[in-house]
Amino acid sequence: MHLIDVQSGLLAHNDAVAAENRAMLAQRGIYALNVMSAPGAGKTSLLERLLPLLAARWRVAVIEGDIVGSADAERLQRLNLPVEQINTGGACHLDARMVHPAVHAVVHGPADVLVFENVGNLVCPAEFDLGEDDALMLLSVTEGHDKPKKYPLMFRRAGLLVLNKVDLLAMTDFSVEEAVQAARDVHPGLEVIRTSCRTGEGVADVAAWVERRIVAKRGLGVPPVRG
Amino acid sequence: MHEAGIAEYLIEVAEQHLQRVPHGPVRRLHVRIGEMAGVNPDSLDFAFECLSKGTELEGARLDVERVPLQLDCDACGRRTPVADYVFRCGACGSETTRIATGRELQFVAIDADDPAEEVTGASH
Repeated sequence: MHLIDVQSGLLAHNDAVAAENRAMLAQRGIYALNVMSAPGAGKTSLLERLLPLLAARWRVAVIEGDIVGSADAERLQRLNLPVEQINTGGACHLDARMVHPAVHAVVHGPADVLVFENVGNLVCPAEFDLGEDDALMLLSVTEGHDKPKKYPLMFRRAGLLVLNKVDLLAMTDFSVEEAVQAARDVHPGLEVIRTSCRTGEGVADVAAWVERRIVAKRGLGVPPVRG
Repeated sequence: MHEAGIAEYLIEVAEQHLQRVPHGPVRRLHVRIGEMAGVNPDSLDFAFECLSKGTELEGARLDVERVPLQLDCDACGRRTPVADYVFRCGACGSETTRIATGRELQFVAIDADDPAEEVTGASH
């Protein structure tokens, strides 16, 4: 018998490109946010509300991941922001290699903030680093408050949990308290913001959170006015 | 269902290593998968079986070592297992912990037969 030592990470190929993406973004001081959730939780709806708030102060670019089609990219293009559509062609998540050319284009264009809208999925995107600074995760109240226990890795990775569709709370058996507790069991101290993308509730708080992170990344005391 | 991509990479890395050393038939690939790695060992096994067909890894077995999820506590310094994905120190209850093990996704080694001896070594 012959034992050949390998000792290689099975995501090493992804992690290496993610590190490259991160370094390119860091060099230009661009803050990157990876937005993830189950399908239909409201990622695009949140971005439709959130990005205009961010774009008032920062130059925002979007990389939109979908299995097929460009419906979400078209929605976001109406905000007059540069949006790059990536079709994964069946793959259930974005990975660092897929987004690399688009990241390359973003760092060579005018941008302060890059938002990845990942493929709707609570499992696979959690395992694939894109080179982002933070992961924002949406959980909508129609999905049920038990989700953190079922998809711990995603909740563990999230830097911010956005609890969306709170305007529907009265129509569901969703317990905010149980959901937040379950999320914080997996990720102690996880920040949670409640939103409704129909009424706009909470979206300004999400924008404030993201802006704090942008400022922290850029090491600036005061956000510059877009010029 | 990203196991197919991981199986593909596993085969790619295995072939790179196998090119470098003389070897006989490949018997096993050792992989280490943490309890909280986002990979399902059965799916990985299935993907590997399908994708290795026609390669020199066809017929090799995937040997999966599972690694339990454990935390190192910053407060009391103990290492404890995680039950039900509640990330608190099992000894003192502190929430300031770090994942010590359980996130592994590692290709450890390849087991292959010794290379057949070329001219003289045929057994009779």
